[in-house]
Amino acid sequence: MPRGLWTTTVGSFPKPPHLERARNQFARGEITAEALESLEREATADLIKKQEEIGLDILVDGELYRGDMTTFFAERMSGFEISNPVRSYGNRYYRKPIAVGPIRRNGPWTVDWWKFAQSRTKKPVKGMLTGPYTMMDWSFNEHYPTREAMAMDLADAIREEAIALAEAGAQYIQVDEPAVSVRPEELKLAIRALGRAVEGVKAKTITHICYGDFDVIYPAMLDLPVDMIDLEMANSRYDLLDRFRQHPFTKEIGYGVLDVHSHRIETRDEVKRGILRGLELLKPEQMYVDPDCGLKTRTVEEAMEKLAVMVAAVREVREERGITA
Amino acid sequence: MTIQTTLSGSFPKLPLTPGQSNVRVTRNRLDQGKATGRDLSEAIREATRRIIALQESAGIDIPVGGQVAWDDSQTFVARGIRGFEIAGLIRYLDTNTYYRQPEITGPISWTGPITAEDYRSAQEMAHRPVKAVLPGPYSLYRFSKDRHYREAAPALRALGEALALESGALEEAGAGWIHFEEPWLGRAAAADAPSIRAALEPLFHGRRARTTLHVPFRSPAAVFDTIRGLGWTALGLDLVESPEAWDLLPEVPKGRTVALGLIDARNTRLEDPARVAQAVDRARSIRPDLDWQLCPTASLEYLPVDRAAMKVARLAEAARLASRNGG
Ligand SMILES: [Zn+2]
Repeated sequence: MPRGLWTTTVGSFPKPPHLERARNQFARGEITAEALESLEREATADLIKKQEEIGLDILVDGELYRGDMTTFFAERMSGFEISNPVRSYGNRYYRKPIAVGPIRRNGPWTVDWWKFAQSRTKKPVKGMLTGPYTMMDWSFNEHYPTREAMAMDLADAIREEAIALAEAGAQYIQVDEPAVSVRPEELKLAIRALGRAVEGVKAKTITHICYGDFDVIYPAMLDLPVDMIDLEMANSRYDLLDRFRQHPFTKEIGYGVLDVHSHRIETRDEVKRGILRGLELLKPEQMYVDPDCGLKTRTVEEAMEKLAVMVAAVREVREERGITA
Repeated sequence: MTIQTTLSGSFPKLPLTPGQSNVRVTRNRLDQGKATGRDLSEAIREATRRIIALQESAGIDIPVGGQVAWDDSQTFVARGIRGFEIAGLIRYLDTNTYYRQPEITGPISWTGPITAEDYRSAQEMAHRPVKAVLPGPYSLYRFSKDRHYREAAPALRALGEALALESGALEEAGAGWIHFEEPWLGRAAAADAPSIRAALEPLFHGRRARTTLHVPFRSPAAVFDTIRGLGWTALGLDLVESPEAWDLLPEVPKGRTVALGLIDARNTRLEDPARVAQAVDRARSIRPDLDWQLCPTASLEYLPVDRAAMKVARLAEAARLASRNGG
């Protein structure tokens, strides 16, 4: 019997409202770091349980203790300062890292959180990091002479963390590179930097890319030196499959079937159809089924409902096609 | 000869010092039902006043209003043009900022002034003539999804005419200088030239106000033959991200102004005014016959407000040095 169609998620989950409130209280100095962390642990343990109940095969810690995906890491490295707020759209702002000196990893960033999450389940929990190209592209740079020099120092720091996660027992390590798709002319640099970041890491390596002009970077992006590339399929109505028809997808794929920007809960049939279309071109053992992107912008209820539909659809396809997990 | 200084597009809306009126806080309070629409309008006016005062006290010759009421660089204007609907949030090029994508769902037509009232109010707060800023029609089209025309040429012609009418309304409101922000000209191919001409020609035709065509990020070399033929007063170039834009200077038509984007709007690192002044000298030695402005490469809103303010000061200082050099 063929195996495959494992289910997972891209990484982030929505923070429950009480945790959002606690983060704001902490920012205003109304509660201690310890008090916040104990709530984060509780919420993470609860999220692991929820993922098991839904029936996902590969779990994540949900990143409930992280804010922005670059600032969280920059705050934990030497060589970075964090800027005052910069606007991203409308009334949304974020603090952006500024490279002001050589970037180094001085100690673990996420290993304790990974260990905590893994201790709550027998299923594998993915290690989740932001990639060197994206960290570079989404930061200001006052120190490095070139974008490449900064990306490569970041890659060395990220590699230390990835190795530490693998040594702690992580079987899957995902190094997200959402920025890769917006500057196709720098794809080669992104490939070099990501290659450095995962070099010698004894785990299955994954990268997630999103919101991009895949027409320009496919099939060149297949050179990204990881085992699996995670892509948004549903958001572009599975248009990417046409590209795969012209040039086969040669790696394992994180196959996104849930639109994370929509409140609407997908139907089981539409998710199933999306998976079946994929199976026309991809082998089941190549495919990991997941949402298009992180779920953090959805409500907790929407996220769980969407995932339940996804798992149910996968179960039906597995049954019909005689595929086991 | 003096070098004029100006900014392009939007400016950070947050106050430099805590405790001042804050648009972000007021908008959050409005969402929570704790503030009124009038509170927000007042906060927007206050931020605009602050942004203009900051430029004037630094000595910026041609200040801008800062687009305080705009959510992004495209939708404030697109919303006001008939034929557009506003869809989901997507990335604004490679800036790690976002905009809502305008969708063309019907024939494009201009039905009345969109930015003129805000312009008038900004001008009332200023002691110097304020420059009006609009998205350029070519970029607005490329940033949008066309569900109606399905081919570029007629859509671009209609958009160019709509923005020309908006420019007329700005002139009526007193604008003596209108700036069009056109990042997509740096990403256009030679084959796009005819549609670019169709979109941009109406902007400059019979215009009383002086005009800037500003191309942030990338050099518009591929379509420069077309750009040269248009009637703009000043051409804005990004010489930091695209040093190859220097090569365009010899081709600029006589009698025009070039706005030298030499202050990096996308990095917090502060420029040395003396070095910026040297770059201005270099431009003057290439083309002694042209007039010059000095400006940031793009909107300063890619920066936090503290660095944006410091960049404005450096910009003014560099222009003073360059004017002195130029004797
Ligand atoms: Zn994503």
